[in-house]
Amino acid sequence: MSSIYLRRRVTNWLAMSLSALATLIGLIFLAWILWETLRQGISALNFKLFTGITANGEDGGLANAMVGSLIINFLGIAIATPIGVLAGTWLAEYANRTKLGETIRFLNDILLSAPSIVMGLFVYTIIVLPSTVLTHGSTSFSGFAGGVALALIALPVIVRTTDEMLRLVPSTLREAALSLGVPQWKLTLQILIRAARSGIITGVLLALARISGETAPLLFTAFGNNYMTLNPIDKMSSLPQIIYQYANDPGDTMHAMAWAGAFVVTMFVLLLSLGSRLIFSRNKVSHD
Amino acid sequence: MTDPALAANTAQTMAAPLASTKMTVRDVHFYYNGFHALKGINMDIPEKKVTAIIGPSGCGKSTLLRIFNRIYAIYPKLEAKGEIVLDGENILDPGYSMNRLRGKVGMVFQKPVPFPMTIFENVAYGIRHHEKISKSDMEGRVEQALRSAALWDEVKDKLKQNALGLSGGQQQRLCIARAIALRPEVLLLDEPTSALDPIATSRIEQLVEELKTEFTIVIVTHNMQQAARCSDLTAFMYMGELIEFDRTEKIFTKPGKKQTEDYITGRFG
Repeated sequence: MSSIYLRRRVTNWLAMSLSALATLIGLIFLAWILWETLRQGISALNFKLFTGITANGEDGGLANAMVGSLIINFLGIAIATPIGVLAGTWLAEYANRTKLGETIRFLNDILLSAPSIVMGLFVYTIIVLPSTVLTHGSTSFSGFAGGVALALIALPVIVRTTDEMLRLVPSTLREAALSLGVPQWKLTLQILIRAARSGIITGVLLALARISGETAPLLFTAFGNNYMTLNPIDKMSSLPQIIYQYANDPGDTMHAMAWAGAFVVTMFVLLLSLGSRLIFSRNKVSHD
Repeated sequence: MTDPALAANTAQTMAAPLASTKMTVRDVHFYYNGFHALKGINMDIPEKKVTAIIGPSGCGKSTLLRIFNRIYAIYPKLEAKGEIVLDGENILDPGYSMNRLRGKVGMVFQKPVPFPMTIFENVAYGIRHHEKISKSDMEGRVEQALRSAALWDEVKDKLKQNALGLSGGQQQRLCIARAIALRPEVLLLDEPTSALDPIATSRIEQLVEELKTEFTIVIVTHNMQQAARCSDLTAFMYMGELIEFDRTEKIFTKPGKKQTEDYITGRFG
């Protein structure tokens, strides 16, 4: 074996081992987190968790927080999805390769990494504080404000994925449609968005997964509520916030309930992404 | 075998003596971001014949084809000058309706690109944009287009299935069906078989032979045998210029220019 060949083999082996090691380190921590959540969470699961409310503390459950989380997350996604998909479409199809488009894309990326508590404070300033006028001076935290804060976090994720997914659609598909005389808006709405559909929906689900774990932006907006409420104008509890609260409690029962809450959030996100993958792998389409 | 009309052919105006002219290309220049890609092309494209454009990579053959339906115009910084007269009107005139042009001049691309919808919808989509017709009329039109594209028998039982499930050759015939469903007058084929296997290729070539009874066909190909097999006229392009345009058999047996001969005998390209 010539020395140059041997050296290449060694370099190759070294690079491969290092990247495998790095992957392994990442995976170990992921598996560890999942395993601890499952182990501690499952043992703390019980029926009462889904029926009782946090007002009853150790004797209660997390029902109000679960319902609150569902409502706030739903509001967040419902607000962010139409705006995000349209903005991403504009970036990819109308403003691609323009200065304005590049600037907005850059700003969106900054928004993507903005600390979530800043979003909470921002919404506190633009919604919670001004709406004290409506509540005659008393506090005006609300599930709706929480939803807006989460929408601001989800928005850049959705804009980014929509933009990227649309730009992945081969330009030949655009040419094919335009060569039939179809105008740009029809092409975008009826063909391109359809071609990028699964990617865009995955982006929305990613955003949902991202916001389901957010705690900080809800502190100044939804505030928390120990009782069950379905009214988005009301203060509202959420799972991450209760996990945070209960984990800081000295009581072991409270810790167990926090684990159970963490388990529920994790399973929600896990099932969501597994479910979406299942749906899309079934009618997977390719352009190659 | 000297055709008197052929004798009149000059490099300035290369006329096609076989039939009445469908499209006249007059002194067409094209610029890519300033780069002079086509340098004064003149040719007369005959009606209901197959005109092949051959030449080495980068000679401008696809560029020329893409001017015929102005599809180049969707990208910025591209500019075409000159005249292309289709049925007496200059299609390069900015006032010429794009919608009308693309209804008259259909195009099929190198890679098959079905829309992400059912087989039926792929064909119906373009028709629906141009015409309001009843459901049963639409079914008739779709069937007719699929039959003309020699695809009907293979897909008639799965019209509601996603078109992306078809094989590459079937997808390309679907794209042809989609283009001819609009009943265009001119059909542009941009290397339509370069992504296909030999069997699918020969089906498309057969199809081209059948379609020329109804349409004026212009096909760009890098495959010289293909041009020889299925075209009536062949244009040879080199470095942005039209070197020779004549009856296919003449181009391949007695080319008038040295460059053409060098190319078809494989000395370059």
